[in-house]
Amino acid sequence: MSIPKLEFPPFHLPPEAEALRVEVRAFLKETLPKLKSEDRFASWNTFSPEFSKALGAKGWLGITWPKKYGGSERSFLDRYVITEELLGNSAPAGAHWVADRQSGPLLLRFGSEEQRQAILPRITRGECYFSIGMSEPDSGSDLASVRTRAEPVPGGFRVNGTKVWTSGAHRNHYCIALVRTSGQHGDRHKGLSQLLVDLKTPNITIRPIINLAGRHDWNEVTFSDAFIPESCLIGNEGDGWLQVTSELAFERSGPERFMQNFYILRELVRVLGRQPAKRASAILGRLIARLWSLRQMSVAVAGMMQNGKSPAIEAALVKDLGTIYQQDLPEIARALVESEATTEDDMADFLDVAQYATMMAPSYTIQGGTTQVLRGIVARGLGLR
Amino acid sequence: MDHDSRAMLLETADRFFTDRVGKDVVNGVEKGQWPADLWKEIEEMGLPLIAVPEEKGGAGGTLADMLALLRLSGSHAVPVPLAETALANLLVAAAGGSPKPGPATLALGDLKFSGGRLAGKADRVPFASVADRFVTVVGTTLAVVAKANARVEAKPTHAGEPYGTVSFDNAATDFSGASAVSAERTLELAAVMRAMQMAGAADKVLATAVEYSKQRVQFGRPISTFQAIQHMLAELASCVAATIAAAEAAARDADEGGLKDGGTFSIAAAKSQASEFAQRIAALSHQSMGAMGFTHEHILHHYTRRLWVWRRDFGSETFWGEKIGAAYAKAGPQALWEGLSGSKYAA
Repeated sequence: MSIPKLEFPPFHLPPEAEALRVEVRAFLKETLPKLKSEDRFASWNTFSPEFSKALGAKGWLGITWPKKYGGSERSFLDRYVITEELLGNSAPAGAHWVADRQSGPLLLRFGSEEQRQAILPRITRGECYFSIGMSEPDSGSDLASVRTRAEPVPGGFRVNGTKVWTSGAHRNHYCIALVRTSGQHGDRHKGLSQLLVDLKTPNITIRPIINLAGRHDWNEVTFSDAFIPESCLIGNEGDGWLQVTSELAFERSGPERFMQNFYILRELVRVLGRQPAKRASAILGRLIARLWSLRQMSVAVAGMMQNGKSPAIEAALVKDLGTIYQQDLPEIARALVESEATTEDDMADFLDVAQYATMMAPSYTIQGGTTQVLRGIVARGLGLR
Repeated sequence: MDHDSRAMLLETADRFFTDRVGKDVVNGVEKGQWPADLWKEIEEMGLPLIAVPEEKGGAGGTLADMLALLRLSGSHAVPVPLAETALANLLVAAAGGSPKPGPATLALGDLKFSGGRLAGKADRVPFASVADRFVTVVGTTLAVVAKANARVEAKPTHAGEPYGTVSFDNAATDFSGASAVSAERTLELAAVMRAMQMAGAADKVLATAVEYSKQRVQFGRPISTFQAIQHMLAELASCVAATIAAAEAAARDADEGGLKDGGTFSIAAAKSQASEFAQRIAALSHQSMGAMGFTHEHILHHYTRRLWVWRRDFGSETFWGEKIGAAYAKAGPQALWEGLSGSKYAA
């Protein structure tokens, strides 16, 4: 019988990474701005250029990148620890988040020398922020169906089309857009390219898309004959699909997949008090055990990646399970607090945050690849398709 | 054991279990048939002595070696007290005793030791009806009592394993000595042992369900090609993955902590996690296999029933969850992340 072998070899983050953790923690203790609970809760969706610049000044953005681009050439595990600490302390990491996590590494891998020199040092200083221009009104999970067209013209491209769910486009500097540069709609993976788009380019219109919680993170970005210079093509014309899929694989298993609403768990501990009833302790302890297990999965995947392996299935499983944990958490916490909170005020405050957490929860299993798309990837890994 | 020796041992044991622990043997134990030959061969391979020092006739393996073997035994539903005996032998040797042949088990409960005699009752003792001797740690003393000096009330589990309640009425001991391991640590070691067996069983459940889905044809095609089945099995994989990752991390931490350590958070968390997901793993695998997996004929229940029983052994998710929750609540919100990221009880 051929057994699908899932392995999560236990991994210790190395001493350098743990030493960095101590530094980051001390820094956060001093630097974390006072924020309203909704913004602490939102953590990597909370935009704070001051905070990002302070992190950049410490050398903690683009930390793995070459020194000549402003990086520190430290390991991917050092970056893992910084990410963990930002989320574990509910820091407002939204401004630099995508640039440091996804866009910078993409430019480093596929970008031209000119692009790298122009952009990467600014990211590492916490001054340059990015949006992701993948989804379109008719292209969500089926990303290969994008319709935004970049027609080659002398010196560059004339771009027409619409991107949606573009987080932070109203305040970020750039967006990396997946566009069709050749062939026809329906050619699927062929003829797609990625463009580095300055969001201040004429003929680009940015309109808010308000989410169900009333928050403005998303935008609709419309290109109407926008001219994008040739120098802004990332990688090779026609390689967009290959590039974008590698971008999606960046850290599918990172701590943001199970710690996005960590704030709720901390609030739960606060509101339950120092000596909760046995039943409440047990429920709290089980939630903590589940989170710890997710972290063991995630750290094991990080360890495998550090050792040169590509544990794609294991990484997808972390996101699937982690996002579901994040959806369970506010519900379990809410029920527990309703029966156990010590004072009415505590209960009211907590339930207010928990209600907000509940409203945000549907997004976790949608963003960055829906649970259903991920399960398709896992099923392929299990040999089912 | 070095890496290669362990890999070789596991490979040999895997082949042996595949050959010798068939469906009939597992079903036989459920009917009260003790597989004496199987046990004899397991002893001849030296498996119950895996973590006993060489000078005491053992294989000189570590706690980690033992736990790796027990994960494997879990993936074969080995229906004899290999896990219990291996841990008991390790404890006896560490207390200065010499492990004897024959199946042993751990009798943990509200027991008293004085004047060289053991008194009290231990519930849900695994393999109580077939064990030659009972090993326990009371306070700082490790005691071994022969079955002739104990009273066993058989209470087979719903997985068909011969558990029971064991009473000691000022029982004479075969051996007693200063334990190298506290009573608290003994429970932790038993818990991580079970968590690893659960990881093995979970792994087997996934493999069984995946394989079945490729063989079973309905509506003219293998059911593995239906998206509904694919998604169910992917979800099953995520639950199995969490069980494995948690148990392996706890096994590593238990090994690094050694015998003296106590209060290993990751053991508590891993047993809680394994116990918590046992139900989901069972439910998803059964749903994906339909009526076939619900029959006694099929082997799936050897694993799902064990998961349902094992989740309570040596502390359920409620037991360990309460321990974790109480410690984290006491330490307060500021200590939460530091505890979690350090894999320790918050303080």
